[in-house]
Amino acid sequence: MIDWYFSHIVLIQSTFTTLLLALSVQVPLRAGVFSFAGVGCYGIGGYLAAIGMVHYGLSTATAILLAAVAGGAVAYALGLLIQRLTGLYLAMATVAFTLIISVLVVNGGDLTGGASGLFGALGMLDTGHLLAVVVVVVAALTFTELGPLGRRIEAVREDPELASAMGIDVARYRRATFAVSGMLGGLSGSMTVLLRSTVTPDDINFHLVVLALTIIIVGGSRSWIGALIGTVIFVWMPEVLAFVGEWEDVVYGVLVAAAAVYLPGGVTGAAVDGYRKYRRKRREAAASPPDAPPPQQAAAAVGGDS
Amino acid sequence: MTSSALAGAGAGDGRDAEAATSVLRADDVAVHFGGVKAVDGVSIVLTPGRLFGILGPNGSGKSTLLAALTRLVPLTRGRLEFEGRRYDRVRPHTIAARGVARTFQTVRILPGRTVFDNVALGAESAGSGSKAERGRARERVRRAIERTGLSGKERHRPDELSYGHQRRVEIARAIASEPTLLLLDEPTAGMNRQERDDITGLLADLRAEGLTQLLIEHDVQMMVDACDHLFAMNFGALIAEGEPEAVVRHPAVQEAYLGTQGRAHA
Repeated sequence: MIDWYFSHIVLIQSTFTTLLLALSVQVPLRAGVFSFAGVGCYGIGGYLAAIGMVHYGLSTATAILLAAVAGGAVAYALGLLIQRLTGLYLAMATVAFTLIISVLVVNGGDLTGGASGLFGALGMLDTGHLLAVVVVVVAALTFTELGPLGRRIEAVREDPELASAMGIDVARYRRATFAVSGMLGGLSGSMTVLLRSTVTPDDINFHLVVLALTIIIVGGSRSWIGALIGTVIFVWMPEVLAFVGEWEDVVYGVLVAAAAVYLPGGVTGAAVDGYRKYRRKRREAAASPPDAPPPQQAAAAVGGDS
Repeated sequence: MTSSALAGAGAGDGRDAEAATSVLRADDVAVHFGGVKAVDGVSIVLTPGRLFGILGPNGSGKSTLLAALTRLVPLTRGRLEFEGRRYDRVRPHTIAARGVARTFQTVRILPGRTVFDNVALGAESAGSGSKAERGRARERVRRAIERTGLSGKERHRPDELSYGHQRRVEIARAIASEPTLLLLDEPTAGMNRQERDDITGLLADLRAEGLTQLLIEHDVQMMVDACDHLFAMNFGALIAEGEPEAVVRHPAVQEAYLGTQGRAHA
């Protein structure tokens, strides 16, 4: 077991950091906000942590905290700026924000290391630290999925006008999701960089947006569990599919397409739907008398088989 | 049409006196969508503890007026007051906090949530911070479910309910917030006679408890039987108001419903 852990430590740690990145997209999506601002904040967090450690000698914890707070603040400001946008227009604006961050760091001179990026930002991080951060984040998100807050967020997603009529400040909830998304992105970016010790502009590009979105499409957007399932699938897939060699991208594409077509709510959505159908059948079975004929036979018996 | 011209249907001349004690007052409210005057210059006053109704043919502006009263559509012009406080510039979510609850013309409930959760959404808008408040909210949910005849269906989801029961969930959600004013947009649409009678009985009970209500329905007889005061609208304007019997006999209302030819045959 210990051998297995050490031979897969990169994948295990990558699972935690990628989960935080996926959550930075899942949180706004759960509130009906089609935003990828968290991916841009991943870049902000990564670079801030690297700059803090390389240029200013910050401690690992301070660098991560700074990255999370800055990510949240920038995303909140972005949310204020584009709060009137919805749907695809909002998504495009946030993708543009991510691309702008990558352009800025290329042109950041000595501060960001330009096109070469920054090196030597090795943080004092281990798997235990990552696990602790993920557990705290998941506990907080679980709280937002349950009870009154979960209901309100669902109302904001499903029917903003109804939510307003119920006294819910929809704009405030949407801005809050931007801030949380930015914090999660900042956390993910900073921890990824401090594990690798390097950050380059190539680390913040469109493929991160695609990765986060596909994780959520396959896993499901309604719960952090969907983000976890999607993350495990996509982080570990190269390891599992090593035997297919160059066909790996084809399998990846087929998997995403199949999920989009056959699992509109992702793996978690399908599981929830299945459970509800099972519960409904049980309730109907409990409501009908034990010796009653099945509905089709009963209808045929009274001539109502049309 | 001015309010004085409408008084012939029995509204009386006491608008100013009524306004002083009004729950809601709308003055010269207009909602225009480009060149379409969905609501144009409507003034109404709702006094406490009464059941008001809005009649009018399809497209007459009833639902748009309700949306304007709850700030879900912006006013082109006009002034709104709730319990003496002007609110035509506040954001929609603050209206619910002040005590205005509403149902919608089409069923709008959370599809993935149970009956209990949907009703709780209304109860929690009245505050659910402390443990005691959450307990009170649960009690409001329980009572609203019981009053709307949904007992035993708390754990059902909307797709497991009939249309009539989904309507009841909307009503339960609205009354669970214990509002001062309840706005109901066709609450009995899609219900059978028995269900309609149940809902009419519930509205009468709520009125007896002092709740002010504004009801939109197409069933004229039901409106006459249930309401204390009717407003009639056509083409976005108020064409009559007053005692229900007088309003439905008003020539402008008959014209709106039957047309000139229909009135000649009637």
